[in-house]
Amino acid sequence: MTAATETDRALVDRVAKGDRAAVRLLFMRHHARVYRFVVRQTGSEMMADDIANEVFLELWRQAPGFEGRSEVSTWLLGIARFKALSLLRKKKEDWIDDDDAAQIPDSADTPEVVTMKDDKAAALRRFIDALPEEHRTVIDLAYYHGQSVTEIGEVLGIPVATVKTRMFYARKKLGEALKAAGYDRGWP
Amino acid sequence: MSAAEKMSRRDEMETLLPFYLNGSLEGAELEAVEEWLATDPAALAALGEAEAEFSGTAAANEAIRPPADALSRFAKALDAEAGPARAPAGQSWLAQAFNRFMAVPVGVAWAAAAVLLALVMVQSFVQPGGKGSDFEIAGAQDDLAKMPFALVKFKPEAKMSDIAVFLGENGLKIAGGPTADGVFRIAIAAETAADYEKLVSLIAAQPFADAVIEGRKPGSGG
Repeated sequence: MTAATETDRALVDRVAKGDRAAVRLLFMRHHARVYRFVVRQTGSEMMADDIANEVFLELWRQAPGFEGRSEVSTWLLGIARFKALSLLRKKKEDWIDDDDAAQIPDSADTPEVVTMKDDKAAALRRFIDALPEEHRTVIDLAYYHGQSVTEIGEVLGIPVATVKTRMFYARKKLGEALKAAGYDRGWP
Repeated sequence: MSAAEKMSRRDEMETLLPFYLNGSLEGAELEAVEEWLATDPAALAALGEAEAEFSGTAAANEAIRPPADALSRFAKALDAEAGPARAPAGQSWLAQAFNRFMAVPVGVAWAAAAVLLALVMVQSFVQPGGKGSDFEIAGAQDDLAKMPFALVKFKPEAKMSDIAVFLGENGLKIAGGPTADGVFRIAIAAETAADYEKLVSLIAAQPFADAVIEGRKPGSGG
């Protein structure tokens, strides 16, 4: 089996035996997605850079204990999610609270104005970005990371039913935002 | 079916559409979505909207560019975590062989030494037009117990072809090794102690010789 076709799981087995080339291969395969996932979670490229590196160092440390009950990509995203939340909790006191945020002029236009400037696709992208974090995350994990309902539950540590509920409300909010912007898609 | 029930089913299908699109839906839920798509006129429009969300999400994520030097910085962090790699790239074949032998149990190293010796012999024969074809590995016919020898360690950057030519030109043979420390036993066909000393000095003077230790000399007995 060549490196190009070697499965993620086989590479993790090699990492567990101390194979550094294998962990580099996994880094090359998954780093961009892990990095993007953390940027979307934290809103900070600097934090995402540190956390993404830490995720793969954690892979190096934890590979011997990996039991293969989930996909490697799901495992990595779960580690990334945990580290992002931990770091955000630590930084919380430095972050602006909601009252402060309300004082900052909103540089974004109203949905109507945005739609006048952009086409529907651009507006939709803006609305996705503007979703609450818990809703945007399930959208990202399903549409961009290709995760199943069960896998999203594993990454976020929530029940399958909650994943579906969040997806429902995420899509509902997108529909409402589009409707408010003049694009009625018929649902909700 | 009531309007409320229809809406409920629509909500459920809309919730599952992203998973239908990413190919992770299966079983009864997959069948339900496919049946809905086949029977409800509104379903295809809904699928189109979900595809637009799919594209928008992909575009939003792809717009985030990971740092170009991420891999090199990770490699450094990994080395800091796990220590330096055992066999850095760029070393000569001999240095890599030494390192490999030093990393395995002595018994395994000696077994593998035979393979390395065979490799040295084969490579010496394929030197195009060189004098390496005269070079010999001590075989079973040699009475190694009686032959004078010296223990030689070659420099890591030593070239196999230089060593092979040198050994061939001076009637020297590799009789054993390398040990776990990378030491070879070189059989020296010298009749007298003076000849032996001369050849040992010659070996030590070679640029590829790292260390030479005198072993059994002519006339020194078993």
